[in-house]
Amino acid sequence: MSVIELDGLEVCLGGRTVLNGLTGRLHGQAIGLLGPNGAGKSTLINTLLGFHPPARGAARVFGLDTRHDRARIRQGVGYMPENDSFIGNMTGVRFVRYMAELAGLPAGEALERAHEALFYVGLGEVRYRNISTYSLGMKQLIKLAQALAHGPRLLILDEPTNGLDPMARQRMIQTIQEIRKAGSIRLLISSHLLRDIDETCDEVLILKQGRIAALRNIEEERSSHRNFIELETLGSIDEFCENLRQLGCECASFAGGRVKVVMSDSIASRDLYVLAAERGVQIRRIHRRRDSLEDIFLRAMENEPARGELVRL
Amino acid sequence: MSVYKHEYRAYEGRLTSSWARIGVLVRYGMAEAWSSRITIGLLTLSMLPIIVYLILIYLANNPVARAVIMRGNASILAINATFFLRVLVSQCWLALVVTAWIAPRLVSFDLSDNALPIILSHPISRFGYVLGKFVAMLSFLSLTTWIPCLLLFAYQGYTSPLPWMGANLRIAGGLLVGSIVWIALLSLLGLALSSWVKWRMVATGIIFAAVFVPAGVGGVVSAILRTKWGLVLNLPVMMTQFWQRLLGVQEFNRFGVGLSNVAIATMLLLVAFVSGLMLNARVRAREVVRG
Repeated sequence: MSVIELDGLEVCLGGRTVLNGLTGRLHGQAIGLLGPNGAGKSTLINTLLGFHPPARGAARVFGLDTRHDRARIRQGVGYMPENDSFIGNMTGVRFVRYMAELAGLPAGEALERAHEALFYVGLGEVRYRNISTYSLGMKQLIKLAQALAHGPRLLILDEPTNGLDPMARQRMIQTIQEIRKAGSIRLLISSHLLRDIDETCDEVLILKQGRIAALRNIEEERSSHRNFIELETLGSIDEFCENLRQLGCECASFAGGRVKVVMSDSIASRDLYVLAAERGVQIRRIHRRRDSLEDIFLRAMENEPARGELVRL
Repeated sequence: MSVYKHEYRAYEGRLTSSWARIGVLVRYGMAEAWSSRITIGLLTLSMLPIIVYLILIYLANNPVARAVIMRGNASILAINATFFLRVLVSQCWLALVVTAWIAPRLVSFDLSDNALPIILSHPISRFGYVLGKFVAMLSFLSLTTWIPCLLLFAYQGYTSPLPWMGANLRIAGGLLVGSIVWIALLSLLGLALSSWVKWRMVATGIIFAAVFVPAGVGGVVSAILRTKWGLVLNLPVMMTQFWQRLLGVQEFNRFGVGLSNVAIATMLLLVAFVSGLMLNARVRAREVVRG
C-alpha cells in the first residue's frame, strides 16, 4: 500500500491556490519533500494532517482520506512542526506524556513511553526541566520525542534541522537514520536543504509553485546514471552540448561552464576531448560521478512540467 | 525505544476512547489551574462567604441563638429565597474573579508557545479541544458556585425544624440552573477572550472589562435615549433579574425597569454565540493569511 496518495489534490488558502493538481503515489521508507520557500511543502503536510481541506481532488495516508478519516490518520501519525511548538511551563516528560495521552495511550503507558522517547532522542538527562529553559536544539528534539512517543506508523518532520548548529544537525540526522533503519516507521521529511534529504531519504517529491516538479526514487535514479560525467569547461559550450546530444548523450549545462553528461554506451571519454577540440572548447576538469539529488532538484526546477506531469530526467 | 537499548519500539497496547482524550484535556487543564497559589487563594476566598452564610443558617435555626440575638423576631434572619439569592449573587461574582484568573492559564500557555499545531495534530478535534478546556473551567467554577450553594441549601434543610426542603425545592432548582448558566457563559467568554490575548494579565483585565465596560455603555445609552434597552448590555443587571426570577424573589433594581425573559435569553445566547465564533477563529492549528 502507498504511504501517501495524491489524486488531483488542490488546496486553496486565503483565496489563493497553494497546491495545484498534485497527483502521485509515494511508497518510500523515507520520503523527502523538497522545494523552494513557498512551494507548498508545509501546506501539503498540513493537508495530510487534515488541517486544510482539499478544494478539489483527494489525499490519502495509508489509504485513509484526509477529509473523512482525520482522527484515524492522526492516530497513526507523529508530527514535528517546523516552528517552535510546545508548552513552555511544562517539564519535558510531562509534555511528552500529555501528547502521548492525547494520542490515546493510557496514562501509565504514556508516562513510560514519554521517558523512553526522551532517552531515545537524547533528552533523558534534562527531562525534568521546564521546556522554556531548553536550547534551540533541545526544543527540536522534544518535538521529535512527542512525535515518537505514541508509536506512529508515519513520522512527519517539517524542517527537522531548522536552526540547528552542525553538531546538533548531525545528531538529528543520525536519529532520523536510526528510525529509518528500524523499519517499523515511515518518514516524510520536508526540508529545503538538499543534504538533509540526501542523507535520510530514499524517495523524493519536489514541489515548485504548488505543483509536482519531480517524484523520484533517489536510489534508482543514482544507479541508472552510472555512466555520468561532469565537465568543467572554458569556451562556448552550446554547440558542444548539441553535438553530444546528437551522439546520444543526455547533456545539461550550468553556469560557469559546468556540463553534466550521461554518456551513451557508444562513445568513450576520449571522444569528448576530440569533440571539444573540434568545437574550440577547453576541458579543464573531468570527473565521473553518480547523479546527486542536487542534479535531480536543479533539473526539476529548470523544467516546469504541465499540470500533474512528472519531469523526465 | 526501551531505555536500556535506546531503540525505537512501536506501541501495540490498547488505546483510550476519543471521549477519554477530552478527559485528558480536562485533567491537564485542572492541574494547570491548581498549580498556581493564587488559584488556591481565590478558591479559599470564595469559601469565606459560604462560611459566613453557614453560620447565619446555624444561628437562624438554633433556638438559643434565636432567643438571644433575634429576640423572637425571626424576620431579622429569615432563611428564604432572598437569602439564597444573596448567596448566589456573591458566589457568582466571585466566580467571575476566578474565571479572570484561570481562563487565561488554560489557553494562553498553549497559544504563547504555539502548542496548538502539535496538540491538534493528535486525534483530537478543535471542538474536542475547546470542549476539554470548557469542561475544566466549568468543573472549577462549580466549586465556587452551585456546589457550595446546594450544600448550604441541604444544610438548611437538615437543620430546619420544619419540613423546609420539600417546600423550597424551587430555590434549589434556581441555584443550580442560575449557577450553571452563569458559569457556562463565563467559561465560554473567558476562553474566547483568553484565546485572543497572549499575555495572561492582559487577558485577565479584558475579561473584567468585557463584563463591566458594556454595562457602563448600556447605562449611558439608557440615560441619553431614555430607554430600558441599554440594560441588554448590562450583564450584572440582566443576570440579577434572571436569578431573581429563577428563585422566585420579588424583582428589584435601581433602574426600576426589567427586561423580558426573551430579551435576557437572546442576549445570553448572543454572547455565547460570539464567544463561539471567536474560539472558532482562533483555535486553529494554522493561521491562514488572506490575500
